[in-house]
Amino acid sequence: MPAEMVELPDDPVLTVSGLCFSYPDQPDVLKDVSLRVMPGEHIGLIGPNGAGKTTLFLIICGLLEATAGEVVVMGKPVASRQFRPDVGLVFQNPDDQLFCPSVYDDVAFGLRNMKLPRDEVEARAAQALSTVGCAGLAARPVHHLSEGEKRMVSIAGVLAMHPQLILYDEPSANLDIRSRRRLIRLLQGSAETMIVASHDLELLLEVCSRVVLIDKGRVIADGDSRQIMGDDRLMEEHGQEKPHSLVPHLKPH
Amino acid sequence: MKFGFDEYVHLSSPLHRWDARYKLVGLMALIFAFAFVRDLRMLPAMLLATAVAYSLSRLPPSFLFTRLRYPSLFVVVVVLLLPFLSGQTTLVSLGPIDVRQEGLIAAILIATRFLCILTVGLVLFGTASFLRTVEAMHALRVPDILTDMALLAYRYMFEIGDYLHRMEAAMRLRGFRERLVSIDGLRTLAWLGGSILVRSYERSEWVYKAMILRGYGEGEHGRGEFQANRGDVIAFVGALVVAGAFIAAEYLI
Amino acid sequence: MHIPDGLLPAQVWATGYAATVPVAWYSLRRIRKAGDPREHIPKASLLTAAFFVVSWIHIPVPPTSVHLVLNGLLGAILGFYAFPAILIGLFFQAVMFQHGGLTTLGVNAIIMGVPALLAHYVFRLRNFKGEASRLKTGIFGFIAGFFALAASVAIFVPLLIFFIPSGFDVATERAAVFALALAHVPLMFIEGVFTAAVAMFLQRVRPGLLVAV
Repeated sequence: MPAEMVELPDDPVLTVSGLCFSYPDQPDVLKDVSLRVMPGEHIGLIGPNGAGKTTLFLIICGLLEATAGEVVVMGKPVASRQFRPDVGLVFQNPDDQLFCPSVYDDVAFGLRNMKLPRDEVEARAAQALSTVGCAGLAARPVHHLSEGEKRMVSIAGVLAMHPQLILYDEPSANLDIRSRRRLIRLLQGSAETMIVASHDLELLLEVCSRVVLIDKGRVIADGDSRQIMGDDRLMEEHGQEKPHSLVPHLKPH
Repeated sequence: MKFGFDEYVHLSSPLHRWDARYKLVGLMALIFAFAFVRDLRMLPAMLLATAVAYSLSRLPPSFLFTRLRYPSLFVVVVVLLLPFLSGQTTLVSLGPIDVRQEGLIAAILIATRFLCILTVGLVLFGTASFLRTVEAMHALRVPDILTDMALLAYRYMFEIGDYLHRMEAAMRLRGFRERLVSIDGLRTLAWLGGSILVRSYERSEWVYKAMILRGYGEGEHGRGEFQANRGDVIAFVGALVVAGAFIAAEYLI
Repeated sequence: MHIPDGLLPAQVWATGYAATVPVAWYSLRRIRKAGDPREHIPKASLLTAAFFVVSWIHIPVPPTSVHLVLNGLLGAILGFYAFPAILIGLFFQAVMFQHGGLTTLGVNAIIMGVPALLAHYVFRLRNFKGEASRLKTGIFGFIAGFFALAASVAIFVPLLIFFIPSGFDVATERAAVFALALAHVPLMFIEGVFTAAVAMFLQRVRPGLLVAV
């Protein structure tokens, strides 16, 4: 584990307090959202489309400025547009994030901006690509990658920067079965603190022990993933469905 | 999309190994020298130099034929017309039509210049990846704005092209016939164009976010490392000498 | 509107480069003066790629079909980024398709790029005397598209006719210029209509794009 990941166990990685956000002259997108994330936690973020999940992620990264409330990552408040490699965001669409012509260049992009020496850039990029199982793709042009490969390379680009907190926005969208399984294994094995926003509730069951349910900009529930996702009424009230594996089976299979 | 120029960039040849910066300046000098030539006596030397360059590149002949096929059409038309339209001195009479000397000379000059310039151009750009070529330009002090734009445009061109093909297929499936001319048809195509622009614009907003998150604007543009050896410089000087010889010969002979 | 390699005498393509350098320099200067370019580079770049792709759309013009130039629309939307966009587009075409030319990149950039920059100002006139309505957007879109192609033709056709050795006397050459230019007039109308239609579409769907960069 890289040196900078060792920290005091009772300091939260992320604290969100009373966060509100709206576009000018528009109704609130986020209302009074509060959240506390401890090191090593894997948290699922669920809610219907338009609930505010992506907006929350953009605010945590500093790409959007909250209209009220505060976000603190690793003890430092998040400032708008500040380069903070300690928070990583994996976008919903990998094509939005893979903007360099070659795989290696894309993974190395953030590292070069961190002003790391050349051999460290190479080492970290190689390690990140190998962690996601794409070691052989370094020289490949990005537009020659499959959907699954693009997803993995976009994750590598974020992992290479050794973030303390990684936000995943719908990571399993458009993946085939095999790629999705690779993704789940990767997420399960990763020691980083993460929040995963997803409609793929089964994935969240496998990866996250804690789940936060958001609807219409408010936090509705925050707790054990099986408990929350197993609550029929709660899930249906907020546009969700109980994941299949939590449904009691009359016929064992 | 298939037009990627990367087909033969992974071969190994003296031209592939030539430092991209020196190659760019050296071969462009040769190309410009060819474009200076007006004397018929220079043509065999031009063809020889071109043939040498092409054979050194180890690019297959099929590459040359495929690449030259369509562009040649315009020049073929010009070349076929000039000997019959241009000039006063009649060389030979084919019935009612005279073949004129000036026109014939002009046609041969144009055709040879065209062929040699395009062939050397293929050697220049077909022996290195597009990314490497742009890095070389950047190293040669081409402004950041141009090189950044070139790389991003190159990266997304393929995706956008795929989108166009999918939309054209979808339109055809719903009965749109491209052969019909109508204001309605033109408007539909305009909407297609407009939606391509809108999608690209919206994607660019996400790409910008992704770039900021990974430090765009933080590091100085330290892209592309080059290291030239003596062979690179010698080849460069050689190319300049050959180019210079053509230009000098034009003015002295 | 592209002149290929090998056709023009050295003075012409060299002048093309000599003219392109100051225009490019000036465009980059105006771009930098308008604020941090990095904020607009992703937009300008993706729109460059998008325009490149859009120009592949076949517009049926019996008996054949044509590809639009769209430098009017490009100028209207990209402003001073239009010139770098055109340089890059021409570079791609020369390198990847062997269309246009390497020695004639400068000449072709002037043929397409200068009218694009002028079209930007023409299009901006839609804001004159109040908010740009859809009608005004359409009208000035048409004018920008028509005018940009007309200006390109006005440079391209004389260059072609006067500098390719033809052995005809000046009067015949002038007539040829006139005839070839006239033959492009229907295309100017098509470019104008297409530009107007796209501009009105954007006004309705994403008005922010029309004042993008």
